[in-house]
Amino acid sequence: MLLQHKNIYIVDDDESVCCSLKILLSTFDFDVKTFNSAQSFFNAVPNHEPGCLVLDIHMPGLDGWETQKRILASGSKRSIIFISAEKHENAAQQAVKVGAVGFLQKPFEGQELVDLINGALDKTNEQL
Amino acid sequence: MKQTKKEKKLLLPQETHSHLKEKVRKQTDELKIKNAQLQKGVDREKLADDQIHILTKAVESVLDGVFVVDAKTPDFPIIYANSSFYSLTGYTKKEILGKNYFLLCGFDVNERVSEEIKQILFQGKPYHGEIANLKKNGEKFSSLLRMAPIRDIQGEITHYVGIKTDITLMKEKDLEIENQREEILHVTRVGKLAEFVSSLAHEISQPLTSILSYAQAAQRIFAGREPQLQEILQYIVNDDHRAVEVIRRLRTLLKKSKPTFEPLDINTLITDTANLMMAHITARNKIIKLKLDDPLPMIQGDRIQLQQVILNLISNSLEAMEASRESRELMVETSLQGAGMILVEVKDSGCGIPLENMNKLFTHFFTSKPDGLGMGLSISRSIVEAHGGCLEAKNNPDGGATFYFTLPVNMKQDL
Ligand SMILES: Nc1ncnc2c1ncn2[C@@H]1O[C@H](COP(=O)(O)OP(=O)(O)OP(=O)(O)O)[C@@H](O)[C@H]1O
Ligand SMILES: [Mg+2]
Repeated sequence: MLLQHKNIYIVDDDESVCCSLKILLSTFDFDVKTFNSAQSFFNAVPNHEPGCLVLDIHMPGLDGWETQKRILASGSKRSIIFISAEKHENAAQQAVKVGAVGFLQKPFEGQELVDLINGALDKTNEQL
Repeated sequence: MKQTKKEKKLLLPQETHSHLKEKVRKQTDELKIKNAQLQKGVDREKLADDQIHILTKAVESVLDGVFVVDAKTPDFPIIYANSSFYSLTGYTKKEILGKNYFLLCGFDVNERVSEEIKQILFQGKPYHGEIANLKKNGEKFSSLLRMAPIRDIQGEITHYVGIKTDITLMKEKDLEIENQREEILHVTRVGKLAEFVSSLAHEISQPLTSILSYAQAAQRIFAGREPQLQEILQYIVNDDHRAVEVIRRLRTLLKKSKPTFEPLDINTLITDTANLMMAHITARNKIIKLKLDDPLPMIQGDRIQLQQVILNLISNSLEAMEASRESRELMVETSLQGAGMILVEVKDSGCGIPLENMNKLFTHFFTSKPDGLGMGLSISRSIVEAHGGCLEAKNNPDGGATFYFTLPVNMKQDL
């Protein structure tokens, strides 16, 4: 596990969710950038830039599912973890079905998120 | 003297003759008048007889129970009752005549009511009211009772006349409609509550997420140090978990019930819902018109949920028309659109939608009403969308608003 890019992008319309997750993930030595909308994420981060995406589902404008579709359509292999405060019956299955790493119902334990992220990063490393 | 006498005598026959003639004529005239008077009397009597005959027949033919009570005796004896009264109460003529009206009709069960009626009658006023009565066989029935005093020439009350109408069937039907309406309103309320809780849960879950993350970040930052701070952080984490558990339980408690889909005729559904709301609509002095394209293909849907949508839209329209006396008309229209879609439109002549509100209508908690929850439209939209349709709003060019939704035609029926 040398030279891995520990880049994490958080896209959530809730300011304090972004901020708290950034602080938390920083304690795990990740490099965290936050965005309040999918659009601002697309504007700032090129598709080829490595890093795992933590993506809120329920957002005004482009929602999580739409955003994931776009990323997929662009040919990017970016790992995505869906998060949502809303109760989604089959969100976890749905997430895996569309090719995401997983789904976490807010609020979640920091460790759960970190485990998912690490799993995703390992996978990308294998592929490299 | 003699001469006068003679003269008199001479005059006498002539005089007597004319006198007599006059007398006879007078008497004949008198007789004629008397005769005429007599005839008139006979005629009048005959007329009166006819009238009484007709009146009696009319009272006997009336479908309501009609009865007369003697007012001079204290125990309200019935002195007359028509045949409807017998069939209404189940008693025979023999069993009824002379009996106390109030005892007969089971008023003894509720003495307060009979006392109230008596008090009103004693004051010389008419009584009007709905009461529960008993038949001879003990069966209960609801009746509308009207009683009024009958007075003689001196103005003294001699009798009371009563009309008794059986309204049991009417009341049962009212009750049935009321129950159905209650059920839908209940479902609507529960649905609103569930929606309310789920949006509340969403709103609260966000800060709970960040509180938990902040606390866990701090725990890691101070790991192995500051035992007091660690303790406090653990309390924060624990209480966050507690709040999450409360929300989780609330969510399961008010889980939105799964829709059960069945083939439905949307026109029937609309007619049923309109009937349920009829009393509500007429009480507000409004009119509902249905313009239903018939026949329409069946749709696949959840009856209660779709009724809820129609109910919400009609309620909103009524509320939009509440302020104005002139805006009275509400129209529900169905039609078949191309591509296997049915269109349902609820059009009102109410206050319309201000342009700045157009985009907010369907969001949770948006309301312009002092006692509104702002859930009706957002729930309705999610129901319609779960059925594969869309719910939209627009203002009418001639005032008022139209809320319209589509539902896909049930394709299965063609197989
Ligand atoms: N037919 C209509 N005409 C004009 N405005 C309407 C109409 N229907 C809805 N609205 C507007 O949309 C708002 C939201 O409607 P909605 O049914 O969601 O909530 P509500 O009626 O205010 O409360 P409730 O949850 O009790 O139904 C209303 O407060 C009203 O301002
Ligand atoms: Mg409403």
